Amino acid sequence: MMATSPADIPSKKDKNASPKKDRSLVEAELVSSVAWLIRLRWLAGVGVLLASALVSVIFPFGIQQGPLYAIGIGILAYNLIFYLIERRLRQASAPATSFDQLAKWQVGFDWLAMTLLIHFSGGIESPVLWFFIFHIVIASIFFPPRTAYLFALLAIGLVTGLTLLEYFGVLTHLPISGLIGIPLYQSSAYVATVLLFFTSTSLITAYLASSIHERLRQREEEIIELTRNLRRATNRLEALNDGARLVGSTLELPQVLNRLVESTALAMGVRACSIRLLDITGRKLDPVAVFGLSKAYLEKGPVDPEDNPLAREVLSGKVVNVPDAPNSPLIQYPEEARQEGIRSMLSAPLTGKDGPLGILRAYAVEPNRFTPDDEQFLAAIAAQGSIAIENAIAYHAIETLDATKSQFIRTVTHELRSPVSVTQSLLKTLVAGYVGEVSEQQKEILGRAVRRIEFLQTLVDDLLDLATGKAEGKALEIREAVDLRAAIERVVERFRVPATEKELALEFADLTPTQPFIIPATVDGLDRILDNLISNAIKYTPIGGKVTISLSGITDGAQVTVEDTGIGIPEDAMKHLFEEFYRAPNARTLEQQGTGLGLVIVKDLVNRFSGRLTVHSTLKVGSRFTVFLPLAEPELMHIAQDASTEAH
Amino acid sequence: MNKKHILIVDDDPDQRLVIRLPLEAEGYEVKEAANTEEGRRLVLETKPDLIILDVMMDSTTAGFQLALELHNRADDSEFKEIRNTPIIMLTAIHSTTPLRFAPDEDYLPVQTFLEKPVDPELLLTKVRGFIG
Repeated sequence: MMATSPADIPSKKDKNASPKKDRSLVEAELVSSVAWLIRLRWLAGVGVLLASALVSVIFPFGIQQGPLYAIGIGILAYNLIFYLIERRLRQASAPATSFDQLAKWQVGFDWLAMTLLIHFSGGIESPVLWFFIFHIVIASIFFPPRTAYLFALLAIGLVTGLTLLEYFGVLTHLPISGLIGIPLYQSSAYVATVLLFFTSTSLITAYLASSIHERLRQREEEIIELTRNLRRATNRLEALNDGARLVGSTLELPQVLNRLVESTALAMGVRACSIRLLDITGRKLDPVAVFGLSKAYLEKGPVDPEDNPLAREVLSGKVVNVPDAPNSPLIQYPEEARQEGIRSMLSAPLTGKDGPLGILRAYAVEPNRFTPDDEQFLAAIAAQGSIAIENAIAYHAIETLDATKSQFIRTVTHELRSPVSVTQSLLKTLVAGYVGEVSEQQKEILGRAVRRIEFLQTLVDDLLDLATGKAEGKALEIREAVDLRAAIERVVERFRVPATEKELALEFADLTPTQPFIIPATVDGLDRILDNLISNAIKYTPIGGKVTISLSGITDGAQVTVEDTGIGIPEDAMKHLFEEFYRAPNARTLEQQGTGLGLVIVKDLVNRFSGRLTVHSTLKVGSRFTVFLPLAEPELMHIAQDASTEAH
Repeated sequence: MNKKHILIVDDDPDQRLVIRLPLEAEGYEVKEAANTEEGRRLVLETKPDLIILDVMMDSTTAGFQLALELHNRADDSEFKEIRNTPIIMLTAIHSTTPLRFAPDEDYLPVQTFLEKPVDPELLLTKVRGFIG
């Protein structure tokens, strides 16, 4: 009875490889049932004591009370011991087998107590006899049917044995005087009838209780199975969803692929997953992302579609299931697979717009692990993965192209800069007469050349600025803490002379003079922003007009406006304002020279400093450019303070 | 007439010409070096009163390196005699080099900067300011 194998404990219908996790549900049930049985027995013990007292009142002389009380106390006593054992087992997180054994011991003791109780309450004549049925029901709930029947047979054996011993006078029959007039225990017919009915009732009870419980267990198993399926489905949906997000993301390719293999392996609940992509020659499949495989296995040797029948078949667009990898003719490295512990493989093609890209493969330690469901799932992941891979490659290509373009512009303009600069200086030297007298006409022609070359110089400088900004982007943090007010004062001062020449009123309105404005930017960049905006305002404002620069605080930032009473920007031109080389028609008419890059540079720089730029303009009335710039973090502020004190 | 000597160190011959012409017109004696090596040699040979130095030559900071060498304060410096000779450094406007340009005795032992394209008037004003 005690020698039970652990396999008895969970369901007998051991559906293929029921994982540990699910068995623990059955275990948990057993553990809690043992506790329940002990609680129930406290009541039973007390019940026996109460019943004994009650019986002694009803039949004052018909019964020996002593043994009945003793049995009640005995039940409570052994229940206390079981209670203590149960508590210790629970604290020690003992295995389910220990609880199973404990349950069997308990039932054994209960059987003994029942038999004694029957003996001392009238043997075969005892009404307590039928209480055995409850115990059989409980045993049927606790144990698998076979064990339940054994316990039922044991009960029948005990009752029959007791009855026969009393019948033959080996044991003294203890009748309940007053309840039954004649001594029925000596009546063969009565004894035979009761035993027959007891036996059949016990067996039928065991059968019914076991069957009902068995059906309940099956239901439970189905629920567990369903839960497992649901969990798997959820994992897969998550993997697919993850894949979908990868498709839309602009991550770097290695990141995309690593996420893909990891989520696929986890969703399928398999040992490993890998992606191999075809190299440029199409003769080699390189592992580019791996989850769960050893380095040794990856370095087993080159995978060439020409020599690898599995790769060839998958690349032709098929999902291929290899149920027994170490013995499959499709596998190029069967011995390595065996050493790695891989028994089955499932491969799906990664296919791009222009043909095969590579292979997505799942590896399992169990043979014949992959089902048609798995095939569908892997194919779906591979389809999504293909798009993600193509996106990532395309994104990378665009990025590289953009960087190359910027670098090209940078190099070209850089090369242009020296000759333009020197030519300009040479012409100026001529005009200034350092190499001899220059006639008025020559001066006039040289002056034109100087102006053209000056424009070229501006263009080169602007282009270089733009390309540098593009190349550096926001990633390169060359930020310092710059005093915005000082920068405005400096640039405004620079334009005093040109403004006066044009009879323009140039004003700086410092609206909150006591508030410091420290901006995370670069001195050069901030200068360029202000320089471009103010020079534009002066350039496009007719003689006698007014240019006002104002500085004020906004929440967490500074606001600089450059407002003029100039020609304004036509509505049609507004949407092109920040396009490279664009110049509004009225600006073109007024001022021949202009690169159409100034505002592009301003916008670019403002963006790089995490700011915002807005434009309001009315044709023939004037324009207002507003720059919002966030203030520096407090830790940058003191740096700025130091810098400004040093400068003075 | 006490002729002042000026040394131009620049790898661009046209740039050297642009600087030389106004200076000569003003009566200065001008020597030219096409690289830092030649510059070192001519500094020792001619002991100029003023040096005009381009930043970018063999490398993007070759001019700075030379300026540091020339103004070295160590007692065993081979340029001991000319360590107080003023240096004007030529830089491109809106320079994209990450170096911050500001005359700083500790880091950049140069007296002033002159932006390219060189304006002859501005050049002469600066030169006069140093050596009259």
